[in-house]
Amino acid sequence: MGLLDVLPWRRDKKAVSAADDDLFDDKFQRKLEYLALVSRRVFAGRLRAERRTKKSGSGVEFADHRDYQPGDDFRYLDWNVYQRFEKLLVRLYEEEEDLAIYFILDTSASMAFGDARKLRYAKKVCAALAYVGLANLDRVTMVTTSDRVMERMPETRGKARIFKAFRFLREVKAEGTTDLGDAMKTFVAQNKRRGLAVLVSDLYDPRGFEKGINVLRYNKFDPFVVHITDPGEGKPKLNGDVLVYDCETGDEREVTVTAKVLSLFGEAYAAYLADIDRFCATHQVPYVTASVDVAFDELILRVFRRGGFLR
Amino acid sequence: MIFAGLPFAQLLAVFGAVGFGVLVLYILKLRRRVVAVPFSPLWERILRDKEATSLFSKLKRLLSLLLQLALLAALVLALGDPRRAESLIKGRTFVVLVDASASMQATDESPSRLAVAKDGVQTLIQGLGGSDRMLIAQMDAMVTPLGPLTGDASTLKDELKGVHATDSRADFPRALRFASDVLRGVDRGEIIVVSDGELGDASDASGPVHLGSAKLSYLEVGHSDRNVGVTQFSVRRYPLDKSRYEVMLELTNTGSTVEDVELQLLGDDALVDITKLRLQPHERLPRFYPQLSGASRTLEAKIARVDGTHDDLAADDHAYALLPERRRAKVLVVSAGNTYLEAALLLDEYLDVTDVAPAGYPDALKKGTWDAVVFDGATPPEMPKAHALYLDPRGPGSPVKVTDELKQPGFDKVERKHPVVRFLALDDVNVALGHKLVPETGDKVLGASDGGASPLLVAGTRGGYRFVAAGFDVRDSDLPLRTAWPLFIINCINWFTDEDTQYLSSFRTGEVWRIPVAAGVTAATVKLPDGTVQPVPVHEGRAVMLGEHAGFYELTAGDQRTEFAANLLDVSESTIAARDALPVDGRSAEGQSVARVSTPMIGLPNEPAWMWLLFLVAALTALEWATYHRRMTV
Repeated sequence: MGLLDVLPWRRDKKAVSAADDDLFDDKFQRKLEYLALVSRRVFAGRLRAERRTKKSGSGVEFADHRDYQPGDDFRYLDWNVYQRFEKLLVRLYEEEEDLAIYFILDTSASMAFGDARKLRYAKKVCAALAYVGLANLDRVTMVTTSDRVMERMPETRGKARIFKAFRFLREVKAEGTTDLGDAMKTFVAQNKRRGLAVLVSDLYDPRGFEKGINVLRYNKFDPFVVHITDPGEGKPKLNGDVLVYDCETGDEREVTVTAKVLSLFGEAYAAYLADIDRFCATHQVPYVTASVDVAFDELILRVFRRGGFLR
Repeated sequence: MIFAGLPFAQLLAVFGAVGFGVLVLYILKLRRRVVAVPFSPLWERILRDKEATSLFSKLKRLLSLLLQLALLAALVLALGDPRRAESLIKGRTFVVLVDASASMQATDESPSRLAVAKDGVQTLIQGLGGSDRMLIAQMDAMVTPLGPLTGDASTLKDELKGVHATDSRADFPRALRFASDVLRGVDRGEIIVVSDGELGDASDASGPVHLGSAKLSYLEVGHSDRNVGVTQFSVRRYPLDKSRYEVMLELTNTGSTVEDVELQLLGDDALVDITKLRLQPHERLPRFYPQLSGASRTLEAKIARVDGTHDDLAADDHAYALLPERRRAKVLVVSAGNTYLEAALLLDEYLDVTDVAPAGYPDALKKGTWDAVVFDGATPPEMPKAHALYLDPRGPGSPVKVTDELKQPGFDKVERKHPVVRFLALDDVNVALGHKLVPETGDKVLGASDGGASPLLVAGTRGGYRFVAAGFDVRDSDLPLRTAWPLFIINCINWFTDEDTQYLSSFRTGEVWRIPVAAGVTAATVKLPDGTVQPVPVHEGRAVMLGEHAGFYELTAGDQRTEFAANLLDVSESTIAARDALPVDGRSAEGQSVARVSTPMIGLPNEPAWMWLLFLVAALTALEWATYHRRMTV
């Protein structure tokens, strides 16, 4: 310990750093094992890597018919239908393949606001869900985003690769502004293989949280939104004349904070959360609110119950 | 308006400099605390509505500036100590005469007239101008200034607290003379009489009071006139039967309504008589109670309304009297034989008379103590150690020198005020032969012949004992044949034994009482009716005090204890109807209700304006604080 380390702010910094190092400690890993077991119990009977995709292909389970197009394999013509309706239709089957799961971790500066509780929490959530995915032999990819795609952990599978995910997550730092729309455009361009896109973010996007989700939807990804929230942000401890500035954009605003203003802010914050919830419900996007005050394992179980992450 | 503090130019400079500072501070943007937020668009949402009222916000901020400038202006004005010009240039002088007589105890005003009067004076004090001065005096039987002329309101208010009611009448002329003396040579002097107005004429033995240039104002207190009071009360024992006594009292209804009252007479605190009486408006009802018995010392008359309530003035509902002490006097008569004398002494059954011949006098004197010795034609060589009556004294043992023989003298001059000869008809007494007596210094000539040149009857004191000497043998006159003879003898005995037929059963409040004390006593104390004991000075053998309260008193002077009673007994004080005007010195001061007196009556508020300005500053500060913290002016 150096001389400067005895100074209080130095001690605090070290303490925060130590907290990051201990993010995925043994206790955390034991919880992951438990969650993986729970996930198997909940989804017992399913085969590994048998997640059905929307991609029709060479599977055995009938999915649909479509008109014959020249060049189609005659073997898939449904002759029974032709006999009855004199119409050439090709039989389509659901192709079975191992699932690609993308964890899109928002690492904009707002995720590290305050004491970075949201970012730490988001990392834990990503790690836990990734472990469950890896345990199910799914292909797990992690990317971090702000106003673009920042870092990427290449596709990997197998439970043993979880430590790779831990290392990746440990190195993640929150910085930059949020632009989920642009970032998702980059993401879909980089990842041709469609799959489950778990967006872990506080959704503080000045251009609108919808854009990023819609980009995923339009590009046939299955978005799954884990909204990281800090209840303290809805009830800021402010009073009097203050100059508030956005920690990402630096936009300033003079505010005289009164009880009435705080009440209005609380209402605006609640309305914002309600907007997100409403949007996701309307577009059938699985959505889970992850409050940093809730234990992460409890959240993971909630994700399981919510459905959409594992089928 | 002038400034008694900083001059106006300096005030302007101060206001300009500090005001500029305030303006600069106001213009300088308030440095706000910088706070990071995770997502500013949320704040944008709530501030969008506020921006719509930004003009109003600016106006509110302007209000804040105006408040601060107003606060500054008030402070700067306070530094200037602004006053009305005339209040500084010409001060006025007020003498406030607060009536503290018995009628001011009336309770028609709550809690009493005096309390209301004091409240009114308090208002007057608050209305004093910066250069005004005031003197407050209590007006009752005396005039008591409660402090010097001063303009200090707090001092005047403290003095005012010292005003207390007494059971005496107000000596209005004396008070006016005092006030006019205070205001003599003073410009803009004003006498303010705070009273119910029943003060009598503004004239005394010296004539009407002249106020000079002083203005007279009258603050009227009281509105009711309902009162029944005891206005006369006297009691005396019968001279020849001292176990019995008679009482004379008078009740007066000073109000304008018929009153039914119950009169109780208490002797030694026991009920002696009770009577229900109806008094017509303004009726004076005398009552005479002869041949009463049962009381040995104290007598009290008490009235109350039949319905059990009290009238508006309780001070005159009681009257007190003390009966003269009753005891048997031992009298030694030294005479060769005088039937007239013996007969006269027989009339008083409370006399224990012993007759001796002149030769047996020395032995008789040794045998006992005597309250009085009567020498009839015999004069011992030296005076006895007892009071003595000398009839036709001769020789060196006479208390007065006996000189020329007087033929057929008469009582040309009689000292009618002396208790020995009071009410005696001596003018036409015929004396065949007498002798001229030569009184010594301090002796009193009670009767004299030759136009007063030849004293025949002398009274005085020798060696602490009283004597009366008659310069003739009563048998050489027709005095024994007259009614005056036995009365003269009994008067002498009574005077010797202090049993004066004119014994005062009570003193009157508001007068200076002179109570005799034993010779050689220099200090005395008196116990007042309320139980407090206070010292009283002794002057020329008498304890001197001003009686202010009705009731029973007890004077202690050396070993001697003297009880006496005091009463108000004053119709004018019992008349509690407030008078509308106060005629003095040819003018008439119209009454103004003291309840409606206000500070503008006499001028500006006494508190300097800077005090009010500081109050304003405090109020503005509070307003600024409240509006700021409620975010009304930010």
